[in-house]
Amino acid sequence: MTDTPQPSAPNAETPSAPVTPPAAEPLPTIVTPSNKEVVIIAEHFKGTLQPVTYELLGIGRDLADKLGGKLSCFLLGFNIKEQAQSLIAAGADEVYLADHPELELYRTLPYKRVITEFIKGWELPPHIVLLGSSTTGRDLAPRVAACLGTGLTADCTELDIGPYEHTNKADPDKLGIYPGCLYAIRPSFGESLKARILGPWNNPQMATARPGTFIPLKPDANRTGVVTDIPINLQGEDFRLSVLEIVHEISKGVDLADAEVIVSGGYGLGSADGFKLMEELAACFKNSGVGASRKVVDVGWIPYQNQIGQTGKTVRPKLYIACGISGAIQHRVGMDKSTTIIAINKDASAPIFKFAHHGIVGDVYQVVPELIAQLKAAQGSCPTVKEPALV
Amino acid sequence: MTTPQNVLVMIKQVPDQSAKAGINPDGTIDRAKAKRMLNPFDRFGLQGALTVKKLTGAKVTAITMGPPPAVEILLEALSQGVDKCILLSDRRLAASDTWATSYALSKVIEYTGPFDLIFCGLQTTDGDTAQVGPEIAERLNLPQVSYCEDFKLEDGKFLARRVMEGGHQWVSMAMPGLVTVANSYHHLEYPSIRGVQKVQRLQRDEEALKALIETVDLDIVKADPKECGLKGSPTIVARTDKVGELGGSCVLHQGETIPTMVRDVMGAASALKEFALA
Repeated sequence: MTDTPQPSAPNAETPSAPVTPPAAEPLPTIVTPSNKEVVIIAEHFKGTLQPVTYELLGIGRDLADKLGGKLSCFLLGFNIKEQAQSLIAAGADEVYLADHPELELYRTLPYKRVITEFIKGWELPPHIVLLGSSTTGRDLAPRVAACLGTGLTADCTELDIGPYEHTNKADPDKLGIYPGCLYAIRPSFGESLKARILGPWNNPQMATARPGTFIPLKPDANRTGVVTDIPINLQGEDFRLSVLEIVHEISKGVDLADAEVIVSGGYGLGSADGFKLMEELAACFKNSGVGASRKVVDVGWIPYQNQIGQTGKTVRPKLYIACGISGAIQHRVGMDKSTTIIAINKDASAPIFKFAHHGIVGDVYQVVPELIAQLKAAQGSCPTVKEPALV
Repeated sequence: MTTPQNVLVMIKQVPDQSAKAGINPDGTIDRAKAKRMLNPFDRFGLQGALTVKKLTGAKVTAITMGPPPAVEILLEALSQGVDKCILLSDRRLAASDTWATSYALSKVIEYTGPFDLIFCGLQTTDGDTAQVGPEIAERLNLPQVSYCEDFKLEDGKFLARRVMEGGHQWVSMAMPGLVTVANSYHHLEYPSIRGVQKVQRLQRDEEALKALIETVDLDIVKADPKECGLKGSPTIVARTDKVGELGGSCVLHQGETIPTMVRDVMGAASALKEFALA
């Protein structure tokens, strides 16, 4: 086993806090050293930057400005140099470029090596490191965090900067006021909670952010920034995994991220067969796709690729039709930015009716066929579904 | 060339979210009262480990960390065909975040001895982080395949199909290595009657059960208590907020005939007609 860095105790303290608590002994203000930099790890596929990278630059710019620090971005790949300019146009002040044939495709160990060795060489660590919570980001972020010996919060839907007062006497070494903490906010277990997770005792403070949640800046070609080539020292053990092939599945339906209309089914459908009805309704719309809640994915009624919500996709279609979906927070965070939400559910007290725009209390198997019939009557006829449009 | 002989599978007991028991009015969980279950994602990890056993005859050891009732999921694992179990139970582990959890589990793994593959579920339903598996891999300096949805063993390598946005990839991993199994892994089997009966017999034979389920604490696995629990965790949940009731603007149709309700919604939600195929 490798020696892992220990979470370090705060080592810079200023004794007198600016706040004046009433009678109680004042807590010290504790500043964990950092260079105030916010670092993004860019994600690309064969040289095409993924949308989540621009979203991270958007929120990263905001956080860096609040901290008074720099926004930088790692870009690892091969023949990828020209992408550095689009990262700068999208908000980065500096791009750390590692251009190497062995970095062309993402692999956990080489990417982790290049990023962590570079950061470990800094005099002061960055304040924040952010990745997207994609299949790549969720693969890499825990390795980077564990290698740097720091905490990590998964799948955030809000990120902010603020102070934190640690008063838990069960943990006396950490008592104090910490300014400039990363507030990593995510929906939490129990359906109706948002948890604010902090780790100001170590820098960098790390989080992954949900794709589709944060807003990119308008690209500005006049923005200036620095591109810095960084060292690449790959070791033999970094090649214990190789990529044999990559298969892009041409989804028979529309990619849910781009769909204008999404018909989603939940556990209330009762069985996998219910998705045939979802297909049929989706087929009545142009540019449509079928989504699902997590529970039906867990029981295997529909593939993971169709899952919408905290651990699936985040979508913002023009029209979202939720059928037999209760509307738990884990689902809601993935779709509540949809322009129009129509919910169909037997249970009038289902949470989905709290945030849908139009609701019908009734049996999906009665309401949806009627809806299809009325849509057909209004618009001519819907095409019949020949094969499942599931991705 | 490696043929896997020792396979570990990491599993966790989680509160059953579908049961109302143990859900406090403020939305937090009372874990003592909540109904407990095997983390649904771990079924896929367990199945992965048992598939290797089928292919190579490897010995499968299930490892969990949790309070004493966590033995329930180990019994379930035994009924599925796991050969041996280890329960890490220690009050000093309370409030561990993923970093502290991965530390404690990596110490159990070191205590367990040599292994070729470690299987994990992709994530848990109570934490949803998908971090503990990769963090264990980092602590043990292992290669990893996350989001594995299928695999085969070939020429001493672990060939895995891995989920990616918009498709998948096939990768080849040297062993030892760590695998987190996605819920799109479609080879799930349920416990056989024979397996369940075996466990029922075991439950009447304390000695035999003790031989199969070893309970350890931090001292036995030589873990530093300062690295565990609240003290060893670099992150904390600083606060939780009840998510506000959104909108409240839902136009709810109920109690009327289905055609009437559908017609009303068709009239009010212009998007239905706007995006309908002509």
